[in-house]
Amino acid sequence: MIEVKNVSKTYGKKHNAFVALKNINFTIPDGASVAIVGKSGSGKSTLMHAMSGLDRPEQGEILVDGKDILKLKQKAVDKFRANSIGFIFQSFFVQPNESCYDNVGLPLEIANISATKRRTRIETALAAVELSDKIKSKAKNLSGGQKQRLAIARAIVNEPRILFADEPTGNLDSETGDLIIKLLFNYNKQKSTTLVIVTHDDDLAAQCDIRIYVKDGHIIKMEGVK
Amino acid sequence: MKTYDVIRRAGRSLKQAKIRTLLTSLAIGVGAFTITLSLAAGEGGRQYTEKLVAANADTQSLIVTPKAQQGPGQAQDAPREYGAGPEQAADLSYLSQTDIDKIQAISGVEKVTPTYSISAQYVTREGQKKYQAAIDTKADRANLDIVAGSVPHDTLLDNQVIIPEDYLGILGFKQPGDAIGKTITLHFMQDETYTIAAVDKKPENALIYRPSIRLSINESKRLYDLSSKGTPEYGQFFMVNVTVATSVDAQAVQDQIKGKGYDVLSARDIQATLFQFIDIVQWGTAGFGALAILASIFGIINTQYISVLERTQQIGLMKALGMRSRDVAALFRYEAAWIGFLGGAIGTGLAFTAGMILNPIIAEALGLGNGTNLLVFQPLVVTGLIASLILIAIIAGYFPARKAAKLDPIEALRTE
Repeated sequence: MIEVKNVSKTYGKKHNAFVALKNINFTIPDGASVAIVGKSGSGKSTLMHAMSGLDRPEQGEILVDGKDILKLKQKAVDKFRANSIGFIFQSFFVQPNESCYDNVGLPLEIANISATKRRTRIETALAAVELSDKIKSKAKNLSGGQKQRLAIARAIVNEPRILFADEPTGNLDSETGDLIIKLLFNYNKQKSTTLVIVTHDDDLAAQCDIRIYVKDGHIIKMEGVK
Repeated sequence: MKTYDVIRRAGRSLKQAKIRTLLTSLAIGVGAFTITLSLAAGEGGRQYTEKLVAANADTQSLIVTPKAQQGPGQAQDAPREYGAGPEQAADLSYLSQTDIDKIQAISGVEKVTPTYSISAQYVTREGQKKYQAAIDTKADRANLDIVAGSVPHDTLLDNQVIIPEDYLGILGFKQPGDAIGKTITLHFMQDETYTIAAVDKKPENALIYRPSIRLSINESKRLYDLSSKGTPEYGQFFMVNVTVATSVDAQAVQDQIKGKGYDVLSARDIQATLFQFIDIVQWGTAGFGALAILASIFGIINTQYISVLERTQQIGLMKALGMRSRDVAALFRYEAAWIGFLGGAIGTGLAFTAGMILNPIIAEALGLGNGTNLLVFQPLVVTGLIASLILIAIIAGYFPARKAAKLDPIEALRTE
C-alpha cells in the first residue's frame, strides 16, 4: 500500500520559488494499476519521483507499506529503489553499447546479487518480454519497441513491488505502444505488482483501476478510489 | 554493488571509448617508458660497474698515499698575503720505508708493495731494432688475460717478463706462442736480459689497460733502487699498494690506515664514485619521465570529466536504479585505475622491447663484450612502477568521480 499524505514540493527559493506539488493526498492499494494524468509541467513527474524515492519533498509523508520513505537515510532509500522499485522511462534509457543481457543485469548487480543467480533471472525477464533470442544482441541494434521491452525486462528482473512507468508509450507508434501497455498490465495482473503510469494519454489512463488527474501541482480529480 | 562487477563495468565503459582510452593511456605510457628505461639503465650501469671493478681491482687491495699536505693549523680557504708567512710550497711528499713498516704492522695487512716507477730506454731482441717500451710491475693478484705461456702461482721469477700482444710484431714474433721462452733485452743503466714467460692481451672488461712489459716485484725494486740511488727519491714512493688478507674486512683495515694519517683509496671508493655518477644520470632522466606523468595526470582528469558528461544519462539511470553514490564514484575511479594500468603496461612493455633490441646494439657499439646488458629490467621495480601509476591515475580520477557521484538522477534523466 502506498499512502501519500500532505506532500508539498517547492523548487527554487524566495522570489523564484515554484510550487511543483501542493498538499497531495491519496492512497493506492497493493496490486492496483494507477494512472497519474496531467499535461507537461503539471507536476505529475515530480509526484512520481517523490513516490519512488528519487525526489524528496520537504513536506508530508509517503508511506510504503507503512514506512515513511522520506525519513529514510540516503543509503536506505537507494536500497529501497534497488529492491522494491522498477522504472520504465519514455526514452527507454537502455545502454546502446551493452548487450541485452548486461542491460537487464544492471539492477541485479546494483542489488548485489551474485553472477550465478543473475543468469536465470535475466533469462526469465527477457523471456517475459519475448526477447530471449536477443540476449546477446547490443541494445543499439533493437527497434524502438524492442528497446522498451528490454527496459521492461530490466524493470521487472528484480521482481519489484511497485513498477513506475513514465510515459512508456511516448516514443512509440500506437501499435507498438499498445503491445507495451499490454505487457505492463499483464505483469500487473499476474504478479499483483502495483503499477503506476505517468501519462497524458486519456485512453491509456482509462485502462487503469485508479486515475489521478494533476494540474499545477494540485490533484483536481480522482477516479476509481474506493 | 560487488567490487568485481564495478571493475567489470569500468572495463566495459573504457572498451566503448577505445581510442580515447588508448590515447590517454599513451600519455602515461610515455612517462612509464622513460622511467623504466632510465631505471633499467641505472641498474645496468651499476651492475656493469660492479663487474668492471671486480674485474679490474682487487677489493682486498688498497692504494695508500701520503696525506695531502697542510701546514700546522693552516686549514684555510683564502690565499695568504705575500710575505705574511712562509711560502706555501707545492709539497711533494713521499712514503718511506718507515711508513711501509708502520702500515705493515697493522693487523690484517698481508703485504705492502711500493709502486716503483721505472723506465727503460729501449727494448730489443737479437736481430730487431730498438723500441721504446713501457715498464710495469706485475702485482700479486693483477687481472691479466694471458694468451700464451703461463705464470705459475701468479708469481714471476726475477728473470722473467710478461709481454703484451701488441709488442709481438716489433720483437719479431708472428704468434704469441713463438715468444714463450725467448729472451729480450731491456736497456736501463745497462742491458738486462729476460725470458718471456707469458703474453697477455687487454682483458675484456678492463677499465684501464696499458700494454707494457711486466717485471717481477723484486726485479722492479732492484731496478728502481739502482736508478734512484744517490737521488732524493731513493727509498721514497708516491704510493704503496696494500694487500689485505682475504679473511679480513678491507674496510676496517682502510679505516685503520687512515687513522695513522695516510690517504687510502680502495676499489670500493672508486665504485662508490661511479655509482654516484650513475645515480645522478638515472634520476635526471627519470625526472623527465615524472614530468611526462605529471602532464598525463591532466589528460586523465580531462578524459574522465568528458566521460562523466557523456554518460550523464547512464549515471542518472544507475543512480535511479538504486546504485549508491559511493559505487558510482568507485566505478569512475576504477576506470581511471584501468587507464593507469594500461599506460603503465604499455610504457614498461615498450621499454622492455626497446631494451631487448638495444642491449646487443649498445654492447656492440661500446665494445662491452658479449652478454653485457646495459639495460637491466627488474620485475619488482617494474611492478612497483605500474602500481604507483595506478595509484596516481586513481588520484587524478578523484574529481571526475566525485562529480559523477554527486549527479542528481532526476536532472540527469531529464531529456527534454
